Formats: sequence, C-alpha cells, structure tokens
Amino acid sequence: MSEALAEADIPAPPPREDRPREDGPEERLARWTAGYAALPGLPDELVTPDGRLRPAWDRFLRHLADLTDGEIAARLAAAGRHIHETGIAYRAYGEATERDWPIGALPLLIEGAEWQVIAAGVAQRAELLEAVLTDLYGDGALARAGLLPAAAAAGDPEFLRPLVGVSPPGGRHLHFYAADLARGPDGAWRVLADRTQAPSGAGHALENRLVMARALPEVYGALDVERVASFFQAFRDGLAAAATRAEPRIGLMTSGPYSDTYVEQAVLARYLGFSLVEGDDLLVRDGMVSIRTVAGLKRVDVLWRRIDGDFVDPLELNAASRLGAPGLVEALRSGAVAMGNMPGTGLVESGWLAASLPALCERLLGEPLRLPGLPTWWCGDPAQRDAVMQRFDALAFRPAAAPAQGAFTSRAFGEGRDAAETARLRAVLRDRPGDLVAHEPVRLSTAPVWDGTRLVPRPFVLRVFAAATPEGWQVMPGGFCRISETPDVRPVAMGAGVRAADVWVLSPDSTAAQASLLPPSDRVAVRRVPGLLPSRAADNLFWLGRHLERAEAVIRLTTCLLDGAGSVSMAAEDLATSARLRALLHLWGAAPSPKGGAAELAHHALSDGSQWGSALSHALSARRNAAALRERLSGEAWRALSALREVLEAPADGTDSEAALLDRAERALSLTAALAGLAQENMNRAGGFAFVDMGRRVERAVNACRFALDFGGAGASTDDLGVLLDLVDSRISYGARYILGVALAPVRDMVLLDPFNPRSLAFQVACLGERLAVLPSLRQDGVAELPVRLVAGLSGEIAAAEAATLPLDTVAAWEMRLWEIAEAIGARYFPGGSDAARPEPLTTLA
Amino acid sequence: MLYRLRHLTAYAYRNPVGFARCTLRLAPAAGDGQVPLSHEVVVEPAPQTATERTDFFGNRTVSLTVETPHRAFSIDARSRIRVERPPLPDPATGPAWEEVRAQVLTWPGLGPDAPLHFAAPSRRVPLLPEITDYARASFPPGGGAHAGAFDLMRRIQADFAFDSEATEVGTPLAESFAGRRGVCQDFSHIMIAALRGLGLPAAYVSGYLRTLPPPGQPRLEGADASHAWVSVWCGEGWIGLDPTNGIGVQNDHIVVARGRDYADVAPVAGIIAGSGAQSLTVAVDVVPEEEEVGGPG
Repeated sequence: MSEALAEADIPAPPPREDRPREDGPEERLARWTAGYAALPGLPDELVTPDGRLRPAWDRFLRHLADLTDGEIAARLAAAGRHIHETGIAYRAYGEATERDWPIGALPLLIEGAEWQVIAAGVAQRAELLEAVLTDLYGDGALARAGLLPAAAAAGDPEFLRPLVGVSPPGGRHLHFYAADLARGPDGAWRVLADRTQAPSGAGHALENRLVMARALPEVYGALDVERVASFFQAFRDGLAAAATRAEPRIGLMTSGPYSDTYVEQAVLARYLGFSLVEGDDLLVRDGMVSIRTVAGLKRVDVLWRRIDGDFVDPLELNAASRLGAPGLVEALRSGAVAMGNMPGTGLVESGWLAASLPALCERLLGEPLRLPGLPTWWCGDPAQRDAVMQRFDALAFRPAAAPAQGAFTSRAFGEGRDAAETARLRAVLRDRPGDLVAHEPVRLSTAPVWDGTRLVPRPFVLRVFAAATPEGWQVMPGGFCRISETPDVRPVAMGAGVRAADVWVLSPDSTAAQASLLPPSDRVAVRRVPGLLPSRAADNLFWLGRHLERAEAVIRLTTCLLDGAGSVSMAAEDLATSARLRALLHLWGAAPSPKGGAAELAHHALSDGSQWGSALSHALSARRNAAALRERLSGEAWRALSALREVLEAPADGTDSEAALLDRAERALSLTAALAGLAQENMNRAGGFAFVDMGRRVERAVNACRFALDFGGAGASTDDLGVLLDLVDSRISYGARYILGVALAPVRDMVLLDPFNPRSLAFQVACLGERLAVLPSLRQDGVAELPVRLVAGLSGEIAAAEAATLPLDTVAAWEMRLWEIAEAIGARYFPGGSDAARPEPLTTLA
Repeated sequence: MLYRLRHLTAYAYRNPVGFARCTLRLAPAAGDGQVPLSHEVVVEPAPQTATERTDFFGNRTVSLTVETPHRAFSIDARSRIRVERPPLPDPATGPAWEEVRAQVLTWPGLGPDAPLHFAAPSRRVPLLPEITDYARASFPPGGGAHAGAFDLMRRIQADFAFDSEATEVGTPLAESFAGRRGVCQDFSHIMIAALRGLGLPAAYVSGYLRTLPPPGQPRLEGADASHAWVSVWCGEGWIGLDPTNGIGVQNDHIVVARGRDYADVAPVAGIIAGSGAQSLTVAVDVVPEEEEVGGPG
C-alpha cells in the first residue's frame, strides 16, 4: 500500500515540449552557468571574482550534467519528499503545526584545503570560548584585568550565578559548539555568530547527508566527499568521557514536543543511542540523577542539554521553568551528573564579547584569532562609544546581551531605522550604553542555487559544528547550510524563505579513507535488551494504543448506524437497535444528542472535533501522544496517523452524504488496521510494542464487554446480534463457523469467551497477560506484580465461564475489572506520567 | 540594639506531599553593623538531607529535602542578633549620579560585592520606560547620587499607597507601578527599576523591622512580616533606603539577604511533588531583648 501511495506522489516528468531543451551534458553545463554573475561586491561560491568557475564546482557540475534537468528535478523532489515523510519538520515559534524543512538545494561545496582553514578556526574558537567560560565561572581574572567588560558580563541574563565556582563534571563547560559563517567582502570566512547555548542543526546536517547521498549517488560517489559519521561517534565518545562510570548512560535533555527543534532532537537521540528525556523524566535524589523508566529508576551519567541553561533547574535557576528537574544544579555541583553544555555557556554567545575576542585569544591561547568575527564595538566602553558615535548612521546596533536573538532579528536597531527608532537608540546610548553593541552592517555572500533550468546566486549562512573529544576539538567535515530563497543579502531576510543544503567537504586527496557509515564492529556490543523506556514514553505509548482503539470503536458504531439507516426495514426492533447505537455514541461523547438524522449523528461521531469522544478527537489525541514519541515511531506510522486525521476531517465544502460518510469510515478503518500492523511488525516486543498493544487490548476488551451488555442481552434481536458481530468485526468468522444464522449463546461465546477469535474478550485478556510477562518486575521477592495478578484472575474466570449460562452481571463486573487493570498498569509503569506528582512551586509572601 | 527574632513559615496541603525540596534564606547576615549571636531552624517533618552553603551574593542558604509524606510543613527560625550601625551619611555628600553610572561601566572584576551585578535588569525587575521617566525628576544633571536616591525614596513613599490586598508575590512590576499601590516588595522593585533605568546599581534586601516602635513613635509598615528594602550604590558605598517607610536603614532594620531582586533572596523557595491546594501562614516577631513582649501564638 505504502509503495503505491509513494509512487503516486512523484511529480509528473517534464512535459514533452521541453524535449528540445534536453541537450547534451556540455550544452547543459553551459546553459546552467550562462549569465551567472556574482552580486556586486560580494564573494560567491561558484565563481571567482574574475568570473571563472571554481574547480570544485566545475567538477561537481560536470558530473551533475550527466543528468537531465527533469531527472535532477525529480531527484531533488524525491529528496524533499523523504524529508517530509521521515518527519524532519520544524515548527516556527508560535505555530501549532509543523512545517517541512525545505530541502532541494544543491550541496554547498568546500575544497579540502579551504576546509582546513575553517576547521582550524572553528576548533580554535571553541577552545578559546571554553577558556573564557572557565574564567568567567571561575576565578574571574579576565574581568579584573580589564580584558573583557565586566559590567556587560554581570548584566547578561546568561551569567548564571549559581554556577559560579562549580567545576564542571568531566572538566569542561563546552562539549558541543557551532559557528555560523559567511564570507566577508574580502572573500575570507568570518563568524557571524557563536552558538554555545545548545546548538541545533546537527540532526538536519545528518539527515541532509543521507538524503543527498541517496538523491545524487553518482555525483556523491565521484567527488570523494568527507563522511560525517565518525564525527558523531567522536562526539558520543566525548560525552561518555565526562562520566565516571565505564558504560555511562547518556540522556538528551529535550525541550519537548512543542519546541521547534524537537524532531531534530529525536533524530539525534535515535542516531546516537541517547535516551530522549524531559525534565519530568528525571529525578534527583540521594546524590544521583535518574530516569524514571518502566523498569524503575535508572541512573543517568551525562545529559546533553537541548534546553536553555536557565531552565534546567526551577529550584536554583528560573523558578518558572516547567522543563527542568529540581536539584540538577546541586547534582552538577556534587559531580553526580555531567552536562554538555553546562548551564550558563550561553553567556559567550553575546555580542559584548566579540570586541574582546582577538585580545583574549592572544592572552589565553598565545596565538592570533584565526577566524575573525564581525567588527563589533561595546558601547559601554567610553573609547569604543566615541568611535561608534562618529559613525552612528553607518553602523547597525543590537543588544549587547541577547544571545538567543543574535544578529538576525534586531531589525529595530539595525539598518534602515526610522526617526522614532533612532530616538530610542539614542536614549539607550545615553542612559544605558552598556546594553548595546554596534557592528558593521552584514552583507551575506552567495552560493549557487539551481532553479530548474539554470544557476542563480543566493545568500547563505553556513553552520559548522565542533565536538569536544578525548583527543581535542573535532569539527564535523560538513555542516548545515541555510540558503535564502530571495537575493536579499541582509541577514534579517534569512528569517523568511530558506532552504537547507547539505555541505560537501571534498577530500584534499582522493585516497582519503572512505570510512563506512557503520561504526567498526568492535565498538558496538550485541545487545538484545532494548534501551530504556522512560515512564513518560510508556504512558504516551499506552494512550496512543487506547486512543486508536477508541477511534476505531466509534467508527464501527457509526458504520453500524449508517448501515441500519440504509436498510429498507423499519421494523420496531430495527429502531430499538438503532436507538441503542445512538445512545452509546451519545454516552461516549461522540455526538451531542442521541437524536437527529443518521447522517448528522455520524458526521458528529466521525468528524466533530468539538465532541471529545468523536473519532477525530481520539485520532488527534493519538497524534499528540505520537508527537511526543517521534524518536520511537517509524515514518510510516507517522504518515498513517496523519492520513487518519485527514480522512476523518470533514470535507471542506461541508457536504457529507451517507455514502461519503461510509466511505470515509471504511478508509479510516483500513488506516487503524495499518497502524496496528505497523506496531505488530516494527516495534520492539519488550519495549514500545507492549505498551501500545496493552492500550489497544484494554480498550478492545472493555468494548467487547460494553457491546455484549448493550446488544447481547437475554432479549437481543437478530439485528442486535448482527450489530454485535459487526462491532467486534466477527461476522465473517461467525458465518464460517455457524451455518444456521445468529443465536445468542454462540454470538456471546464468539464475542466474549472464544480464545481463538482475535476480537474476543478472552483473546484480549490473554494478550495482556503475554505483554505483561515480558515487562520488567520491580519486586525482589519473585511475587507477581499487581497488573499481572489482576489479569491472571480475570483470565481464569473467563476460561471457566460458559456462554449459555453467563449472567450479564458478570460481564459488567469484568468491565470494571478491566478499568482496574488499566489503572494498575498506569500506577506501576508510569506513576509520574500523569499530573499526579508534578512538582509545584512553594509560594511565599514577603 | 539586641533583637530576638522568630520567623515561622507553615504550609498546609490538601493532598499528601511525598517529596519536597527547598532552599531557605533565613539566617541574619553578619557584618555591616550586624553581629549574629545565635540562629537555629526547626523543620517539621524532619528533613532527610540538609546542605548549608553560601550563595553567590554571600547569603547563607540551607537546602533541604523532605521525603516523608506530609500534609503540613513548617519552618521555624529563631535568631538573636546585635545591630549597631554607624550614623547614616548626609545625603548631600558623595559623587554626582552620572559619575556613579560611568564608574560601574568600567568596574574591574566580577566579585560578589561589585556594584555592577545590580545595574542590569533581573528576573523580577525589568526596565520599563515609564519607571525610568518617573526617576528622572530626582536626578537633575550633576545632582548627587545619594541625594537623588533619597529623594526618589521619599517620592515613592508619598506617591504610592501601602495596600497588602492590592498585590501578591507574583504581581508584575508594570502592574504595581500603574496601580500606585502595593507592599514593601513592590515598592522596592519599583525603586530598583527606577535607579537601574538610569544606570545606577540597586540591590534588593530582605530582612526584618522591629515589631513595636520605641515609645512615642508610630508603628512602621511591614513589621509583622518579613520586610524588604533597597540598597543603593552611591559611588563610595552602599546606602540602605526603605521606600515603604521613607527612611534610611539604621538600627530598626535587620538584614537577612541581599540580591538583585526578590527571586534571589526569597526566604523560602522550593518545589513539592504533589498537587492540590496549599495554604501558607507566615508569622514574624522582632523584639528588642531589653523590652520583652509576648511572642506569636
């Protein structure tokens, strides 16, 4: 099914009329580059200042020209679709839904020799910033010596005072560093911004590489492109080296499913084998930091922080933080956990430091700064302020300490300021000059973008990553490149339309080791026991299963209702069956009232998001659970969930006939079946699968009881029993087994007691028992845990029952027992998963 | 002056709390005219761990964890302290405020006493143009920093009404300023924002005020709870100013902690693992030892 869908999405090949333009490789190359000109005064990647093609691009384009325009378009589109399907999406701040990260640009090429300059410069900056942080959070000698502006550091919100005097576990503040680069007017690379807080984008770099290597394998293979896999291994080794245990457990402390880089974090956690943890997953107790998992508390040795430092600990840092874990700063102080990067490292992203960096480099490293930043002045210094005021109109300004915004959003103080903004700026320069830095306006350099028929120059920013490893700083040979979709070369324009491009560093010599993307086998030990399953993830998996099953039950009820309405019979017993269906839909919160036309009711039940129990509401809830599980879900599962929502949403034009409703219901049922199959086939039996499946089984068992109670009573009509078989999707099985038509005892047996019918209550309870059996026990005494005991008891009763003599009271009691089992599973495996034990701040009045 | 202090903080929870972690800043500060004689804290239920530290600004802190399930949590701090401060300097002396502002920008070093820690906006004290403009009237060109701060304090006391119902601990600065009402915490934050808006360093001080005034003098506001005021860097030293009462800080004030704002010095801050309603009772008693008066119930 998925193959067929995927094929259908491929854009049609270019129309035949384009044929005359499908010229040979030489003509193509000439056509692509004809008329290409660098923007006035700005360096360009494709051409040198005198207009010649740079050698790397010449080689690249000659290989690329073996492909026709149409072929290239199709391959880049396929790359874009892969990005869409694997969910490498991002969310712009304030947006509820994710957007695709647009790819489709050619890779940015960098010659090996030039890369050596960049790599050495980035590594040096990382080392320098580490030294500055060590001093600012330690002895403070640089400030005393006047080598950096103490007033600016003290006023920076990223100067986290509880961390002053804390020696970082593992011996360093920075483990991961990124620099945003562009070429200056002279063509030399320079740093636009340092990223020391929690640099993002490495996951995009990783995905872009996988996609582009697949999209252009001939070109990629021919060019000796440096591999990036060993960089990630080195980064992992560097973090592990900060731990005191030999086989440390590393967690990626995520900013959560609502942050704009969550999916990227999930990609990295999966790739690096880190546990993706939120603050609520962590517990600081007894001098140890642990992850709450389904197997109890598991010590974590190192946290890779992807939330802002100020948010890691609501007790000692920002009390308003809901993302952190109380006590983490104390754990850092005592060395119980290492953190990369340490809280407070965002301090050296600030503009006030830029003016001091060249002198600091000489002082701390004894060598000149290799990669310069933008020419910058801190306005708190009287001499620098005088220099700035003389060139007031020519310079751009930005907050001295606004690490999060960087150079890209300070439009108000930047270029083209109006009279009111100028007045505000002058007021700040008078009252609080230390709050501002001034810098030369930035013009980004350009790289070629293929627009379908030719190349055009577009401004770009290159992000380069460095990791602290036991062997020193290592720089990823590659990176994350953002290319603007417009020719506007001002940095502020980068906020609007950008595409992502892979970065290909060409090996200086073609014999460079072409390391496999797989790590050497001696580094990865065989391990069958799955990684940690945090309680929060288990909670989401359980509810994912429950919501999907609830959606399915509502859809089946709706289908039965529509089928009944379509039949010609208006006998009284038909109406009674229909009334029971309506009552149940109303009771379950899927319809506002049991009355009204069948189509109207069915519309509410399937597609009314304002009904909390509608199929759409359950599908949306399932999607929310899934969104928090992105590192555990396959692309197919995510795609099927999105499709389920789309099918359940009412058509935009408002028309929803009975036939259309039935059609949508049927399509939705095939999607829920596909999702169940995906879980069955792809998820780890002792990990995620157990919880999704238990969620489904509990709901399905409850529904079997509920349906049997409503439609399988002593006076049940033939219609009732038919509906009952439909609701549990067993009409075909029944027909195959019983020739003589529906009768009460056989139907009840099939719905409740038959252990061989995969839809029966007995089958669901047996599955629950099997799932629980492979989950870890916390008890030392060997006695079974409560959920196991409850399931065993119920299972025995069902096995001992007989359909002909089964009282409905017993079925009702079983239904209650199933709710108890669901509660017991929750209490055992995710006690902190609900809001029950959420840390609340203590309030106090002055 | 010799004081006996008691500061009782009691929480009651509707649902049992299984785990609590909190930080106390309740020990009166030493130095600057204060000599602590004794200090003890009794916590119920008894904490499993207690760690004493000195924070960045030199305040004494105790960090506790309580792992016994409980519905009531009380912290009872008792201290004795001698307070003998030198007479207040004359507000008319000291450098001009523009000189103080320039001095801070080029201050060498990041030590905890450096005034530059108190010149920037902080968590609870954003800089608001309307508050900065309010401050300007007290600081004419070339005017003294101390004189300006003293005048600003008097204006705040005159322009703002003490009203313990108007604000609560989380009320934003903009709101209490616009409403012209509040308690000591609000007035202190407003005065701090006003000074910092002009580039002048100002610290938030938490502490106590003697409960009953000497005979013949009026009872001061804020005496029955923990109190807060402002410490201003005037170029040559820190000057304590109490905008709630419009007076300089002398021997009726007892300093416990200082920081950039309330968030740095909250007497009790913490996190509980629990849900449901909580109620809080605070009782403070500050009694000169020579003239014993009955303590709180």
